[in-house]
Amino acid sequence: MSEPLLSVDNLKTQFFTEDGTVRAVDGISFDVYEGEIVGLVGESGAGKSVATSSILRLVDSPGEIVGGEITFKGETIFGLEEGDDGEPRPRDDMLSEKEMRRRIRGREIAIIFQDPMESLNPVFTVGGQLREFIEINRDLSGEEAEEEAIDMLREVGIPAPESRYDEYPHQFSGGMRQRVLIAMALACQPDLIIADEPTTALDVTVEGQILEMVTELQEKYDTSFIWVTHDMSVVAEICDRVNVMYLGEIIEHAEVDDLFYETKHPYTQALLDSMPRPDKTVHELDPIKGVMPEAIDPPSGCRFHSRCPHAREVCREVHPEQRDLADEGEPTHSAACVMYDAFEVGYEESRPIETEATGGFSAGLTETGDGE
Amino acid sequence: MGLLRYTLWRLVQSIPVLIGIITITFFLANQIPGDPVEIMLGPSPAQEQVEAIQARYGLDRPAHERYLTYLSGVASGDLGQSIYYDRPVLEMILLRLPVTLYLTVSAFMFAIATAIPLGVISAKRRNKPADHVSRIVSLVGVSTPSFWIGLMLIIVFAFYLGWFPARGLPLPWEAPADIRGAETQLQVIRTSLHHLAMPMVALGTLQMAQITRIERSSMVESLQGEYVKLARAYGVPESTIVRKHAFQVAQLPVITIIGLGLSTALGGAVLTETVFEIQGMGRLIITAINNQDYELIMGTTFMFGVAFVVGVIITDVAYAYIDPRVAYGDE
Repeated sequence: MSEPLLSVDNLKTQFFTEDGTVRAVDGISFDVYEGEIVGLVGESGAGKSVATSSILRLVDSPGEIVGGEITFKGETIFGLEEGDDGEPRPRDDMLSEKEMRRRIRGREIAIIFQDPMESLNPVFTVGGQLREFIEINRDLSGEEAEEEAIDMLREVGIPAPESRYDEYPHQFSGGMRQRVLIAMALACQPDLIIADEPTTALDVTVEGQILEMVTELQEKYDTSFIWVTHDMSVVAEICDRVNVMYLGEIIEHAEVDDLFYETKHPYTQALLDSMPRPDKTVHELDPIKGVMPEAIDPPSGCRFHSRCPHAREVCREVHPEQRDLADEGEPTHSAACVMYDAFEVGYEESRPIETEATGGFSAGLTETGDGE
Repeated sequence: MGLLRYTLWRLVQSIPVLIGIITITFFLANQIPGDPVEIMLGPSPAQEQVEAIQARYGLDRPAHERYLTYLSGVASGDLGQSIYYDRPVLEMILLRLPVTLYLTVSAFMFAIATAIPLGVISAKRRNKPADHVSRIVSLVGVSTPSFWIGLMLIIVFAFYLGWFPARGLPLPWEAPADIRGAETQLQVIRTSLHHLAMPMVALGTLQMAQITRIERSSMVESLQGEYVKLARAYGVPESTIVRKHAFQVAQLPVITIIGLGLSTALGGAVLTETVFEIQGMGRLIITAINNQDYELIMGTTFMFGVAFVVGVIITDVAYAYIDPRVAYGDE
């Protein structure tokens, strides 16, 4: 593969609240290449959406990108350098707010939001909204944009697009509205589409249709996607490569098959075990123990250790960086877990500790579920 | 063309409301202790005189009979005869109504023209100095009675500074001959606007403050909407987002407040007209009550009721026009 389309390097986004600094995204790195669908997976609150709004530089106050670098097609979306006074300041080659608005948002990177019910403006027609975005991002005249909008509505499977063009969002079902949002993204002909949990609010049959449609259209237009979700079954269906996020960090990254068949990180394993499947009854499901800690005060060492069934003393002390654990010649499969020999921190010799996932009654259950 | 049908339907629906207003007013007015005839003729009048007056105004007949007569009169456009002025009630109302409408509509235009920009700026610069200033102004405006503002304006701008006249309100379309110091129609208009300034501000301040507060909170909410995030993510300029995407959604609660404010403003007009000695509906209703002029009380109250209903209908129709989700009731 050549140069990545989008490269995120050690991105840090923090929220400065009255209670303290929330490190919502804490040093994540990932690449997106042309024509692929990259998954960004994790529980609610892992920092997925903050990561995606950081890419568009649309983090709401009091949030702020405080470090790292985002490069898109050779242009710097975000980058800092040390100023004369020793404080970091934006680099000269960083795109200005105006350039972001005119050249990047919508035109190069489009986004599909989670909630189709709220994302469309209730007082404008669906067609009018679609047309406005096309006009802004494709330099088409009003009439051409309207034609394009109708074509696009047809493309995403909306029946009778000519008449539905003049209808209002409340006249569309949830699934239809999500199709409209997808049409908006595709119609601007961006190189990258960020899909922020686009099917979460939909029922499963509609979700299936939408995923199928996106896969088809993705091949047709050769657009790259960042697919944000907490649903492992969606990942399996649609993604080429996957990044698993936990509490502001990416803790595992692999090609989709490797992630499912050779899961490395205990958190990823736990996510997979908690996924309902036809071959498992509800009683056999193994939900992740405990709740994700607050990003305002993350646990020391490995952030997952408080909920990890394999936690040992060392997990509390050492904060693991992601390392490539794949065999030579194989595609990258990195994880951030000291369980693996590559980390050489003496996991084997370390004493197991009691956590939410090991202690008491639940200990027996987790032992049986683990193949090592 | 659902909107026209919707409007007509709302008009039809308002008929029972108006009949209700008439009924309640009629029986309440008749319960007021005292006797209009006594007020007219002074203490210890001759029995024949009393009977003659009673017969003339139908006061000798039982209440339910008079009620039915009155109701059929209203239906045919006859609001009865004022005892105090000895003229048809409708004539009196038509004489005074334009002044009150002139005052109220101007006050509303003043309120809307200042409140909407103020509210939008406030929402855009949330928790910044401009926002604090606008919030304090609107808080003071909401909590200050209009007659007090009127008195203060008179003291400062009429009495000490002498910039504005303190009494009366000539209409801009009155003949130049009727207005002192005016020779051309243009001068009449100038005189009229000159008189209008202070009562307009006195009456409009409450509306302005209320609209500002609603506009601000509504815009704050709208600016946080997902559709605003979406527009930003698609590179729509911030000014367009504020003016178009956020603004239009935010106007729905504002319209409600404006529509309902119409009735408050008419109530306020009674006080404002008293303070500025303006011969409008407000003064008329007070005269009617003071003199137990049944027909005039009913007529004026009925007109206020009509104004209120019209305000509500305008609100509903404007709402249906702006918000496509409001069904026209034809499905």
